[in-house]
Parts: sequence; structure tokens; C-alpha cells
Amino acid sequence: MTANGATTTTASGPRSASLGQTPRPGALAWLTRFLRDRAQLAGLVAVLIGLLAVFQIGNPVFLSTGNILEILRASTLYFIVACPMTLVLVSGGLDFSAGALFATGGVSAGLMMVAGVPWPLAVILGVGVGCALGAINAWLSVHLRVPPLIATLGMFFVASGTITLITSGSSVYGFPKAFTDLGQGFLLGVPFLVLYAVIIGVVFWILLEKTSLGYDARAVGGNRAAASANGIRVNRHDLIIYSMMGGIAALAGIMGAARLSSANPAAGGTALTFQVVTAVIIGGTSLFGGIGSIGGSALGALLFAVINNGLVVINVNSLAQNIFVGVILVSAVAIDQFRRRRQFTSRR
Amino acid sequence: MVALTGPEPALELRGVTKRFGRVTALEDVSLTVSRGEILAIVGDNGAGKSTLIKAISGVHRPDEGEILVEGEPVTLSSPADARSAGIATVFQDLALVECLDVSTNMFLGQFPRRGWFVDRKKMDLESRRFLDELKVTVADVHTQIGMLSGGQRQIISIARAVRAGATTILLDEPTAALGVRETMHAGNIIATLREANNAVICVSHDIEFVFKIADRIVVMRLGKVAGIRTVAETTRDEIIALITGTKQEAA
Repeated sequence: MTANGATTTTASGPRSASLGQTPRPGALAWLTRFLRDRAQLAGLVAVLIGLLAVFQIGNPVFLSTGNILEILRASTLYFIVACPMTLVLVSGGLDFSAGALFATGGVSAGLMMVAGVPWPLAVILGVGVGCALGAINAWLSVHLRVPPLIATLGMFFVASGTITLITSGSSVYGFPKAFTDLGQGFLLGVPFLVLYAVIIGVVFWILLEKTSLGYDARAVGGNRAAASANGIRVNRHDLIIYSMMGGIAALAGIMGAARLSSANPAAGGTALTFQVVTAVIIGGTSLFGGIGSIGGSALGALLFAVINNGLVVINVNSLAQNIFVGVILVSAVAIDQFRRRRQFTSRR
Repeated sequence: MVALTGPEPALELRGVTKRFGRVTALEDVSLTVSRGEILAIVGDNGAGKSTLIKAISGVHRPDEGEILVEGEPVTLSSPADARSAGIATVFQDLALVECLDVSTNMFLGQFPRRGWFVDRKKMDLESRRFLDELKVTVADVHTQIGMLSGGQRQIISIARAVRAGATTILLDEPTAALGVRETMHAGNIIATLREANNAVICVSHDIEFVFKIADRIVVMRLGKVAGIRTVAETTRDEIIALITGTKQEAA
């Protein structure tokens, strides 16, 4: 450490000065790394720009401010759920219960508000229910050794079955105005929901890229046995990740309820689960763990919204969107597999 | 080479026994290793070497017997316990994360932090420094492990053990996957560990390699210690006889 003291001081000097002195090989290495890490994202951006161009040519209204905001708003709830989902996939897990926990969050907070619980408390408790169910997911997979795919699928049915039973399948409504305003308001023309998504996105980006939780996630997902052998508490890690997943899914459901002024037990569901997992994977996060980024997931969620919106705007049957999504999903995973084969000359 | 022995052995096993059901994998194993010493553990397949490594590294808990670190009895019920007792293990399967880079792997499980965040700069600088100390040439600590050769991975694993502040370093078959040149390089690095006054335990099949680097040899056979020899005072034939059981010592 002391030996490197001098180097550290220089490096932390004024940015402009140190930039000028940076030797070319270092800068080149950095650039190579930067591009390598973003190769798949660049492909995704190219696809997005291509689609934007096609839709814009098809109908000049497509890139109007109003429609752009609509696209953003449509992608927000998916993106919010995609953030913790990215962390789950990077950790080598999978959560199929997200869609049901989404509805569970909305319905439980909704029922509490209707019963007279102050809305801030109802929101917190609703998120708490999501966290608790997420923790059960982790417990099932860690202690009962049920693979996450099955544990969370089971949770999906149990959670959505329970709220459907409690509500008899009908929507919960009659929320305080202060609560619904949070889901419907605008700040300088931008929907609150978009702002929440940005905040949550930044928080999760920091979590994944800068904190030891994110570093642990990549280690656990990349090689669980190695992570464990090196003292990372992998079971505790799973507990944190799945609880977070459940909590944020519930929070997104609560935001959705605020936006629509009602909470439906059938909200989210399989559609949300699959779209979120697909968006995350399209965004370059590996289903096999270790690799992934929040930025990629944001692009993945955006791609969904663009296809969905664009097909409507250019008068193509919006049911066709699934065909696009299927092709893009399989291509993205094929690219991921290709990358892994090329990069990792594993001994085994 | 005379070992720099401290007042207490760095690690001592006294009568360690481990059973799996009705199978006794280790029976009354006692051994010591001191700082500045390389102790080799040899034996045929199924002699109990892997179980022994796992007992020392905290993966298996012995049913009987004691493990002492610097003269103090310790209970090692997890790899984390072993690490905090100053015992680091370089496993045969290396325990590296292929999709992460060199410096992240060097700090796996112990990421340096500044406030809430991982101190990436410190991680890179210290990784570079440790690799330099071991005279390892890695062009860029941001290289992914998946891009390195088996030998380079082995060296990164060893460097990580040193970095983690271990005083006792266990190497499980360090040359199993290596070529001739890489084996030499690994031997040099293991010698560097001894010079830095670490205690090194090296499990190996490779008798030539063992005779080249070790100070003493423990021969395991059928879960027991079949004999302990000083390298300078034994021969390859004697060690092989002990391994195969053609030469036996009275208990």
C-alpha cells in the first residue's frame, strides 16, 4: 500500500491533468474493455434505433413528445421489476413469482387502505409482504433445496391463488387521493412513475456495479462453490436478493394500483413475469449467472414498450409483437452462448 | 534447507479422525507444519488426502482429535472459520470465478470498501502489488479468469491465498493440470511462500515435484499416517514403498 502511495496521489489529482498524462496503452486498454463489456448492448441499441426509424417512417406521430412519454410510462413498471430481477439472474437465480408478488403488493396495500390504514403505512406493509414472500422463496431454495425455478413457480400459484380467494377475484378500489396522485402526477411534464423508475434504476445500478452486494452477486452467479469457498455467505446473499426482489415487485404493484386507482388480483401475472425475465435476458444478462447490467435491462424493457407501441402506431396487429419478442429473445441468448464459448476456455 | 521454526508449529493436528457412516476416512492423523516449511502430503488414491485437506480447510469437521493453530486449539466448522484462523486453501478445482477479472477474484469474499462502495482502485493496486511480489506477469488485472491458462489460474489462486493474509497455505494437487514449464513456475512460487515465512502444506501425486520443493513428507495410506520423512534423509524408493504399503512402520 505505502509503496503505491505516490501513484494514488497522482491519480486522484485534477482530472484534466491526469487524463493528459495517461499513457496510451492504459487508455487503449480501457477503451477495449469498455467496448468489450458493451458489445451486446451496442447490438441492442442498433436494433432499437432500427425499430424507431421503421416506426417513425410508418407514422410521423411515433416520435412525438406525447408518444415518447407514453412509451416510457408503459415500460416503467416492467423496468422497475426488471432491476431486482437483473440482480437475481446475475446471482444465478430466477424468480417466476414476480408477477404474482406484483399483484400481491397492490392488493395487500389496497385492502389495508380500504380498511383505514394510513396510506404510507399501507405502502410500507405491502412492500413488507413482498419481502417476506421473497424471503420464503430463498428459504425454499436454500434449505429445502428446491430449485429456484420451482420454488418461485410454486410461490406464483400460492400468492396469486391467495389474493384471488381473498378478493373473490374482483378489484380493490377506493384509495385516498394523496395515494393515487403519486401514481398519476407529473413533474415538469414527466410522469412521476418515470421518475420513480429512474431513481430505482440508479439505486440498482449502484448496488450492482459499486457495492459488495453486486460483487458478491457476480461471484455467486459465476461460480457458487468458489464464492462459498472464499467466504461469501451465499445463503445469506440469496435471502437478501430474493427478499429485495419480492419487495420491489410488490412496490411496483402498489405503484400500478396508484396509477389505475385500483388493485386487481390478476394484475401482473404470467405476462409481467415473462416480459420482465425476457427484457432482462434481452438486455444481455446471462441466464447462467455472473453477467448482466441494469442498463441492458433498461434497454430490454424499452424495446418491449417500443415494439408494443410502434406496432399499434403503424397499424400492425399488436398481437404480432410476440413474434418479434420471441425472435429477439432467442437471438439474444444465442449471442450470449456464443460469447461464453469464445471467451471462456474452461478446463472442464 | 533448515526451516525457520517458531516456538509453536503454525498448524498441528492431533489424533484427527473422520468417519463417513461406517467408512473411516481418517484415523488418528497427527502432523505438524511450521512457518518457513513446506510439508508434502502424498498417498495413493483413497488414502485420505482429500479428506485431510477438507478437515484442515473447514469443509469437514473431524469426529475426534484436535486442530491447533500457533498452539491454540481451534474449531473449524466452515471455510470462513479456517480463513479467519489464517488457513487458506487452494483447491484442486481452483475456486475462481471465470467470468470475473483477476483483481476481483483476488479479493473474492473480502472486497475492500470505502464507505458503502467497493474500492475498485485499491483492489487493482493491491492485486498488482501481490502479483508483482510473487513475480507473476499478468498484463492487466482486468483480464477475465476465463481467458487465462491453467497455470496462470493456479498462480492467481495461490496469490489470492497469500493476499487473504494466510499464514498456513494448503495446496491441493497444485500441479495436476499443469505443463512442465508451468509446474516449474508453480514450484518457484511455492518456494517464494516459504521464504515469506509461511507454512505450506502441499498435497501431490507428483513424487518428483515433491522431492524438488518439500522439506518433509507425510505419507498417507488407508486413512492413516504411514510415515513422516525429511526429504534430505529419504529416497524416492522409500516413499513409494510407504505409499504402496510394501514398507510398514510399527505403530
